Amino acid sequence: MAMQVKERPVPNGVVLELTGDLTYANREQFKTAVEAVRQKGCRHLILNMADVRFVDSSGLGLLALVSQNFKLGQGKVSMLKPQSYVREIMSLANIQKLIPVYDNEQEALAVQQRAA
Amino acid sequence: MSTSPSPTTPFNTRSNGVQTVLVVDDEPTARIALAARLKRMGYRVIEAVDGKSGLDALRRERPDLTILDWMMPEIDGPSFCERVRQDPELLTSQILMMTSHDEPEQIAEGLARGADDFLSKAASKYEITARVQSGVRASTLIRRLEDATEEIRRKQEVLERELQSAARYVESLLPAPGTVLPGVQMVHAYRPSLGLGGDLFNIVSWGDGVLGLYLLDASGHGVSSALRSAALSTFLRRGNLLRHVGSTDPGAILTEANKQFPLTEDGNYFTIIFARLDMRARTLSYATAGHNGAFLQRVSGEFCWMAQPNFPLGFDASTTYVTTDLTIAPGDRLYLLSDGLYEVPDASGELWGQDRLEETIRGFGPRSLTDVVAGSIQEAIRWQGHEQFPDDVALMGVEIAV
Repeated sequence: MAMQVKERPVPNGVVLELTGDLTYANREQFKTAVEAVRQKGCRHLILNMADVRFVDSSGLGLLALVSQNFKLGQGKVSMLKPQSYVREIMSLANIQKLIPVYDNEQEALAVQQRAA
Repeated sequence: MSTSPSPTTPFNTRSNGVQTVLVVDDEPTARIALAARLKRMGYRVIEAVDGKSGLDALRRERPDLTILDWMMPEIDGPSFCERVRQDPELLTSQILMMTSHDEPEQIAEGLARGADDFLSKAASKYEITARVQSGVRASTLIRRLEDATEEIRRKQEVLERELQSAARYVESLLPAPGTVLPGVQMVHAYRPSLGLGGDLFNIVSWGDGVLGLYLLDASGHGVSSALRSAALSTFLRRGNLLRHVGSTDPGAILTEANKQFPLTEDGNYFTIIFARLDMRARTLSYATAGHNGAFLQRVSGEFCWMAQPNFPLGFDASTTYVTTDLTIAPGDRLYLLSDGLYEVPDASGELWGQDRLEETIRGFGPRSLTDVVAGSIQEAIRWQGHEQFPDDVALMGVEIAV
């Protein structure tokens, strides 16, 4: 299934609303969307995973890559509401250790403010 | 010097730039007159006196355009067209059909039976010129398309040969099955999804009854993952490990490999299990990096999956991979595999899964390791309903002799 990405600015960050599958087939689209946000100087990227049905092994690599790239720029990446199946796939590669997972946006933003 | 074509010859296909028109007409006066006119227009002209010799000439000369009379004995114009359209060699030929009666029904029939265009015998010089040019133009475009298709097919063939040669190289890196240590048998199966796989496995002879075993899975597909796998397997050779890691400890080896193989710019990485079988101490030590496909089937029947949630290689350079130790006993079997073996969907999309794989292997009971390895692959194939795996599949089985 294809992926749709919508960008939404929030205080001190950007939320990317992802819909569809985060997979090898959609890697360019995901990379482009994230890179656009990073180029604008965003320091906190929040990936809303609520409408992502599936993440494959390439998708896991992309998540790790995004986390590394934001870290290099002193930024951070958070994740919102992954579905249970996606959460399970990600836990096998310990993604939550790289990208903290939150159940709502306020929580993700609050952590950012405390850190700042 | 300008290389753009002159306006009067906008489409040149032949090296000499002269296009060929075949005229098929049993009526000599009309044929000779048309041939003369075409020659004056600069075309090379071939004449055929009936349908049969027309088809021969078409096959032999592959003209740019065929002008065909409707009324001919034996093979008439429409039958000629039908034969051309049924012949894979000829079917793209451009055919202009001539007739003295240009009734709309007749034109429709001619087009339906395979003519590309129509020309009335009463047509003016200008119309004839225009229709011939239009036919030659279409034929030139078709030829270009055919040439481009042929070029693509040739390049595809070259690429496929190169892929096959690379695939043979990758397979040559795999270990020979058989006795890998006194009292230790190894059997394996390898089914790359695209001919060239990103999964690799091997053994490392540490000496003194100690054996290293690993199975790695490069994310992504095709050439780039195969190249990365070959690079990692080169790093994992005995001499290199002793030099760069200075230890046979699986955790130490993966900790160093993690530093040497960061994520690629596309976010590609490896998952791997590295094990160390020590027949003197009767221990199996292992470390994994994001890899979930390994288990020990104890002689008691117990299944021990060797998985721990942790980072694949390249996710975090500061990771320390930890070694876990298990004791082994004669009759135990160790299986290392890639997730491509059990992540196969059936027709409804349901994955075969680790549990069914475990059940399958349990069900084989005391059958030989060779049977279990081959049988597990067959069972995965039966589940998905076809031979072609969506991802690379690797399975290595190791048995400690009783």
